[in-house]
Amino acid sequence: MIQLKTMLNCIDNSGAALVECAMVVGQKRHASIGDRIVVVVQEQRSAHAAGMASAGGTKVKRGDIRHAVVVRTRYRVGRRDGSSVRFDDNACVLINKAGDPIGSRINGVVGQELRTKKWSKILSMAPMQV
Amino acid sequence: MNVAPISRRPLASLKGTVRKVRQQRLLARSMATASEPTSTPTNSPSPLPDHNFFTFPDRKTSRIRTAFAVYSLPRALPSASKTTLIKTDTSPLPPQTLAAPHPDPLPALCRKQISLLDPTGARTALFARTNRDAARVGDVLMVTHRRGGEPFAGVLVSIRRAGIDTAILLRGRLTKVPVEMWFKVYNRNVAGIEIVKRAKKRARRARLTYLRQPKHDVGDVQNVVFAWKKSRNVLSTKTRAPGEKQRFEPKARK
Repeated sequence: MIQLKTMLNCIDNSGAALVECAMVVGQKRHASIGDRIVVVVQEQRSAHAAGMASAGGTKVKRGDIRHAVVVRTRYRVGRRDGSSVRFDDNACVLINKAGDPIGSRINGVVGQELRTKKWSKILSMAPMQV
Repeated sequence: MNVAPISRRPLASLKGTVRKVRQQRLLARSMATASEPTSTPTNSPSPLPDHNFFTFPDRKTSRIRTAFAVYSLPRALPSASKTTLIKTDTSPLPPQTLAAPHPDPLPALCRKQISLLDPTGARTALFARTNRDAARVGDVLMVTHRRGGEPFAGVLVSIRRAGIDTAILLRGRLTKVPVEMWFKVYNRNVAGIEIVKRAKKRARRARLTYLRQPKHDVGDVQNVVFAWKKSRNVLSTKTRAPGEKQRFEPKARK
């Protein structure tokens, strides 16, 4: 349930660590896994963070407005077969307007709903999907 | 008509009794008027009063007839044979409900579906309350999908027992992110549910939602799963040890 003012973790190496949802793109309800949102970068990832930002450096800065794709939600997401998945945090991956991810690496599991929403680039970067 | 016996009947079957009273009233009405053949012309003077709200003189035959048509008894009146109007005053009828000859079809359907989806009964036994070796909350379970993907392992947080919709909630950790997943036990895509590790003590709660708090979180169970897999391979690769694991169908790949 990502909506206005929701704070999300940014789990790619674009340089953002914590972002705030500013808008849900293309729909009037809350965003779920695989939905596109507009975010404001609130916290930058420090350069010494483990494993992150070393490869890509900081591509975004605090206060930047970017597009992002939700990859994990605390609110459970139902599947067709009756099972459902729920993560313990809200997380997103920054993308540009064309839909390509800004970072080059993702650390952390992502939801499988990205496959149906055609985010194959993010899926291929993710270490694990559930 | 018979107010006292009705009031003595239990309230639970009030609907049925009201329906019965309505039928009896219909019966009584038709019986009372059955003696007066209004349709067939007879020369005898009509027993009906001259002018009433319900009776009036016919214009053509200048005979008094009822204003209402009298219909014969419905053929399949369920309580017509059992109901005797004379005896109802002396002994109250047992409350008859329509629910008795028509039991609830949903449990039967549920049983049929379960027998279809779980012919061996292994899935039912794994979460049955009567089974002493059944999985309990607090155990570490591993669920294998038929649709590929890695098997999901986690602590059993709660069991939602609802017939064919019985589901389990597992809480595990993937790439350091806590993940909770509901699985339907009778889902065909769920190829296997295995008990990796039993809880040391019986949990005193039905739903271990407190495991979401950082203080009580079990954390990563991957080490437990790896150790269990290793011991399983050492013990036997083909025949499974009884009680060690419960599996529905052999897995395609490991």
